[in-house]
Amino acid sequence: MRAQRFSLLAIVGILLFLVGVAFVNSNSPGDFGITLLSGLFQGMLLFLVASGLSIVFGLMDVLNLAQGSYFMVGAYIAYDAQHPGGVIDLMGALPDPNVRFIAAVAIAVASGALLGYMLERGLLRPLYSRPIFQLVLTFGVSLIALEAVKFIWTTTPYSWTELFGVRETFFELFGQRFSTYRLFVVAIGGVLIVAIGVLLQRTRIGIIIRAGVEDREMVQALGINVRAVFTLVFTFGCAIAAFGGAIAAPFLGASTTLGSVFLLQAISVVVLGGMGSYAGTAVGSVLVGLSIAVAQDTAIGTSFAALPSITPMLLLVLVLLVRPSGLFGNTR
Amino acid sequence: MQNFVRVVQSRWLALLLLAVLILFPFIVGVLTDSSPFGVARGDRMIMRGGSVRWQSVLIEVYILAMLAMSYNLLFGFTGVISFGHALFFGTAGYVLGLMLEYTALDTGWALAIGVVAAIGVCGLLGLVIGLVTLRLKGVYFTIFTLAVAEMAFIFFGRWSVTRAEDGFAISDLPVWLDPSQSRIGFYYITLAAAVATFLFIRRLVNSPTGAVFKAIRENEDRAQSMGYNIINYKLLSIVIAGMLAGAAGLLHVILNKKVGPEILGVAYTVDPLLMTIIGGIGTFTGPVIGAVSLHFLDVFLRDATLVLGGVTIDIGNIWALLLGVIFVAVVIVFPLGMIGTWQRWRTRQRKR
Repeated sequence: MRAQRFSLLAIVGILLFLVGVAFVNSNSPGDFGITLLSGLFQGMLLFLVASGLSIVFGLMDVLNLAQGSYFMVGAYIAYDAQHPGGVIDLMGALPDPNVRFIAAVAIAVASGALLGYMLERGLLRPLYSRPIFQLVLTFGVSLIALEAVKFIWTTTPYSWTELFGVRETFFELFGQRFSTYRLFVVAIGGVLIVAIGVLLQRTRIGIIIRAGVEDREMVQALGINVRAVFTLVFTFGCAIAAFGGAIAAPFLGASTTLGSVFLLQAISVVVLGGMGSYAGTAVGSVLVGLSIAVAQDTAIGTSFAALPSITPMLLLVLVLLVRPSGLFGNTR
Repeated sequence: MQNFVRVVQSRWLALLLLAVLILFPFIVGVLTDSSPFGVARGDRMIMRGGSVRWQSVLIEVYILAMLAMSYNLLFGFTGVISFGHALFFGTAGYVLGLMLEYTALDTGWALAIGVVAAIGVCGLLGLVIGLVTLRLKGVYFTIFTLAVAEMAFIFFGRWSVTRAEDGFAISDLPVWLDPSQSRIGFYYITLAAAVATFLFIRRLVNSPTGAVFKAIRENEDRAQSMGYNIINYKLLSIVIAGMLAGAAGLLHVILNKKVGPEILGVAYTVDPLLMTIIGGIGTFTGPVIGAVSLHFLDVFLRDATLVLGGVTIDIGNIWALLLGVIFVAVVIVFPLGMIGTWQRWRTRQRKR
């Protein structure tokens, strides 16, 4: 109970601090709004990478260092499918950009799921008796993914040019133009947080997953095929990461640095929230996303240009020093 | 008696190899009809010719082998995985570079203080990172090293004092050390450093301390319940590995005469990891064999092309991809690496 109260206080404290800094730094309410919205946008994208990372770690004790790569691959596939030319050309089949975007996201998610399934079944499964090698293996897979992406799409970053419905509209508030697309991503992220939460709390498979996080052997002993659950959860986690990449691409474009950047940010989210805790991941994503946006806002025009890129790592180091089990982690 | 002969035989092989490596600049010099000292122009030596070129290839192999051996001490013998080994490698390079270029000291003094300070800083870094994370079980050490290394890479890539992404060149080195004036001198320095690292790690691992390292790798809980303070032993392993990696970084910086953020990049974490695993983790010669084979493949395949069914494939382009695939295949199929698999095969043959 005390630990919970501490976590709650800590969350409120960090949140107030971040919002306060954002408020002090902003010149107008519109400016303040932009910082908040970009923080939430970043946070939701982070959640999509971190949720898979966290649940997989809690359930299987595998820290999937390739999770960021799935985000990157999702972004590239969505970009490729949306734009003319490239590997997947949908221009002829789906001329309407809105429909094409939905198709692009669907293809990205399907590829993410397929690649995730292949990684778990083909490569991780033989290694459950050697956990150190699983870590090394996922690291190797992330290298392969990066090189494969460089080989297929070259190292030149792409920026999204093919606009569609939500991506090209803006809305105005406090005399400031906001991109509707950011709000759209934040809304999708919010819906997914609730949906996955309900899935984990209310459904049979969710109960099995939560039980598995607590005690794998016991679940196995109850006659449930834990290996099959592993595969399902891993595949799902990779699909969500690819989905995150796909919906981030219209804003962030596709580049080879996405993978490592989002992996490190997601890891700091998971450590901040507490390894394996779903609520922790959701709260941690928002906090880390906001802190990056606030750091970006603060660093503009100062000599600390590197601040936004090292903020997640600084946070990670701080949390590990002060409270390694994270905000919601159980203090084993 | 048979055992004795076998020991002599293996030592004899090692000594022969060492002799070949010592004579290597001259052998290649004779083979390619070039001077191992470079070409004289006025009172300066210009580093040109087959022998000098091959010396650089081997110098790089020795440096990578040192880095891989230090990684193996941590990963292979103590069972601690770091994904931030480049941190030690690069930090040492930066400390030496800053000492040489940004202090008003005499070159000799700056070099001496720089080398000591660089290795000291690496040891200290290892100590601090270890103290912070080793009390936590599991993957925290790995995550922490990954994050700190990435942070250092970004930081030094944007820090104006070290000229950010461009880095800075090291201009004045004493003649005996400067690879662009006396390549052969630097060749022997790196060779000596690599051999010393090899012997040191073998001595350390075969000592009682090394036995505890291996016990921790095999079963941490049991080692602890036997009364060993496993945190202290792990710290020792990390500090030593960090200092050795720092020494390799120093040599690398002197060889290239340039300090830039790329020496902190993920490549210098990936390289020793791949070399250790492909060569054979937890073996003495594995990382060396891994470094030799990977670096030579890299040098040969960089410009190679493969014609497959009428399509020309540039191997240099897909080399990193191939390396990743080989790496994953080795992890799954031959987790003991080249040396480990060979040793096991030989033991089985002998038992038969």
